[in-house]
Amino acid sequence: MSVVNEFTKGLWKEIPPFRLVLGLCPVLAVTTAAENGMAMGLATTFVLVCSNVLISLIRKVIPKKVRIASFIVVIASFVVIVELMMQAYYYPMYQILGLFIPLIVVNCIILGRAEAFASKNPILPSLADGLGMGIGFTLSLTFLGSVREIIGNGTWFGMPVMWGSYEPFSVMVKAPGAFLCLGVILGLMNWISSMQKRHT
Amino acid sequence: MRELLRMVIVLTVICGFSGLVLSFTNQATSEQRENQLLTYVQGPSIQAALAGREYDNDPIQDRLSVDLGKDEKGDPVEITVFPARKNGEMVGLAYASSGMGYGGEIGVMVAFDEDGKVAGIGIMTHSETPGLGARVEEPGFTDQFRGLETKDGVKLSQDGGKINGISGASLSSKAVASAVDKAAARFSRVKEEVS
Repeated sequence: MSVVNEFTKGLWKEIPPFRLVLGLCPVLAVTTAAENGMAMGLATTFVLVCSNVLISLIRKVIPKKVRIASFIVVIASFVVIVELMMQAYYYPMYQILGLFIPLIVVNCIILGRAEAFASKNPILPSLADGLGMGIGFTLSLTFLGSVREIIGNGTWFGMPVMWGSYEPFSVMVKAPGAFLCLGVILGLMNWISSMQKRHT
Repeated sequence: MRELLRMVIVLTVICGFSGLVLSFTNQATSEQRENQLLTYVQGPSIQAALAGREYDNDPIQDRLSVDLGKDEKGDPVEITVFPARKNGEMVGLAYASSGMGYGGEIGVMVAFDEDGKVAGIGIMTHSETPGLGARVEEPGFTDQFRGLETKDGVKLSQDGGKINGISGASLSSKAVASAVDKAAARFSRVKEEVS
């Protein structure tokens, strides 16, 4: 039962960018389109799941004093693997995300989960935690990217979805749009949560 | 002391293992990565550089590497040359060159026709300022190189050459001109090696 809990907490209760408000650098920077957000989310998920599992596996042999260094080496290795894979099989997306892929190393969600969860829990819960957080992160980025792409460009995953005479509100795909969008979503989520609380 | 030893050993093992995995991945993906680079970075710029020329081969498929001996620092120079042919006859040669711009290196694909005039150029990579230096990508700038004689060197008009630089971006413009100049200096050697 607890494994299921570890998985689902990442999807709503602790959904990374909106609840933990962690890892905002890629969240704000790459969500100019739904596809970019999704690719970034999936890359992060891969790193998160792999590093969580590996760190949980070796948690007992890592001396306390050098744990952060060890975590970073593990995380950085997976990030480089993702980067190489992307260069090899998904180059156009690599060109778009560019610098933000290596920056996954310093994404605080990943180090945060390693430190707060994987280094203290067995493999299965760590896997569930990584997967849940990763999927939550991917959904958030895809959602944010979708909103910005639809309003700012009139398309969704590259397909036109707005009526013909729609004039794209291009501030949404620029930096201020990211903040506007994130702020509105945070507000909505807080509002929904407070509504839920009032009902129970 | 024992604790110290343990830290050293654990970290060493983790790093060593990580290095092993990464070098393996690097090797396993290197061919595929090079293909992607050819398709997405060099391909479009070769096409741009050879635009308007008629050729019936695939310059990427027919690429060959040319050994140009050593540069002034003594490092070996090897470049990849993309030949354009029509009915088996050479009509153009494209190869990459680079110059130092404002935000870093600017990679330029330069194509020459058979007697060494510039056929055209395509900007491959750059990290110049959008709206200023990045405008070196625009046809308004790159088209000036078409049919350019290179015997007296390739220079901006402010230095007595024929290329009009982009206002507000003289460093970037100069970088492209010097990249073309560098490529032109190599043309006779390259042509000799290819034919």
